[in-house]
Amino acid sequence: MGKILANGNNTHYQRMDAKGVDPAAAPTVVFIHGLGTDSLASFYLTLAAPVAAAGINVLAYDLRGHGRSECPDTGYTFQHFVGDLGALLDVLEIEGPVHLVGNSFGGTVAFGHALARPEQVASIVSIESEPPTQPWADRMVQAMDYMAEQLSSEQTFLDLEAQNGAHHAKLARKAAAKLFATTMISEVWHGRLTSAEELRSLPTPVLHILGGEGLQGGDPHALERALSHCRTVVIPGQDHSVLVDAHRKVRELLIPWVRGIHTDVPWIDAVAEARALIA
Amino acid sequence: MTTTEASRDVVFAEIAGMLRTVLAELGVDDVEIDEGTSFNEDLELESIDLVTLTALISERWGEPVNLAEFLADKDLDEVIALKVGDLVDFVVTALARAGG
Repeated sequence: MGKILANGNNTHYQRMDAKGVDPAAAPTVVFIHGLGTDSLASFYLTLAAPVAAAGINVLAYDLRGHGRSECPDTGYTFQHFVGDLGALLDVLEIEGPVHLVGNSFGGTVAFGHALARPEQVASIVSIESEPPTQPWADRMVQAMDYMAEQLSSEQTFLDLEAQNGAHHAKLARKAAAKLFATTMISEVWHGRLTSAEELRSLPTPVLHILGGEGLQGGDPHALERALSHCRTVVIPGQDHSVLVDAHRKVRELLIPWVRGIHTDVPWIDAVAEARALIA
Repeated sequence: MTTTEASRDVVFAEIAGMLRTVLAELGVDDVEIDEGTSFNEDLELESIDLVTLTALISERWGEPVNLAEFLADKDLDEVIALKVGDLVDFVVTALARAGG
């Protein structure tokens, strides 16, 4: 457990060393969570321990304004989050290349880092996520507007409590208070957006995991078409919360993927192996 | 009192102390904790607080007591419903397994 200054922000992180192997020779995954009510707990309480037990080093951290990391009033552009990741890897002296595993907005941060420093990224596992393109930014503007409207209404929390219980409603209230106390809602989509040409030339292999009923359920193979080294696995019956609700399936995909890439298995074979394990 | 009961009391006292540490950081003190106390409903802890508790348990008992691994086998609903007694059971069992 620790806190460290990265990119000017006091950042909470957790590490677990790979078990049963020499950690110095083992691959490292970096878990990057999503926006709002999310924190490193989504990964730490689901994937982190089994992944470490499988011989893979784990680093999970709280994004700025989330979990136990510092929550400045301003400084929440997408570019800030990308800068934070690069700075964290630098100050922790993790040379990599590392495997970035991002959930929702965390995946967008992973793509941002891979596009900026491709030599530092061995692979990306993108869970219900997408790269920082203009269409992504346009959707984020709409999503943030919608979220601001919803979180301004007391009825939203009452409905949430009725549907999902008091715990979820409490989390949402706290997240709303935090969001409204910062500029996150109004600036998160700002940053260096990526062109179609840049995406196509990204050398990083990508395993794209989606819920069948998730945000990209209408066109689940769009990212495969946009990237040169990407394959998608759709987990049926799951929505945008596939990481938490189907964490065992995500784990079964993730571990052979990271092992395969680390041992120089061609990325397309690593995908096939991962897919076969959950078939 | 049997050895097991004594150990269980010690583990409960240590976990309750850790919880008070976590709660104090959140500005909450003077809270009653027993084995039936639930993390979520009674203590109003969030999942990130459970991460802190997991790290404290790891610092105290080391490798044999891997709460993160224990929780990774559970669904979200089960994690939310956890009570202090469940954690005491887990630690006592893990320590007994390590000792045996």
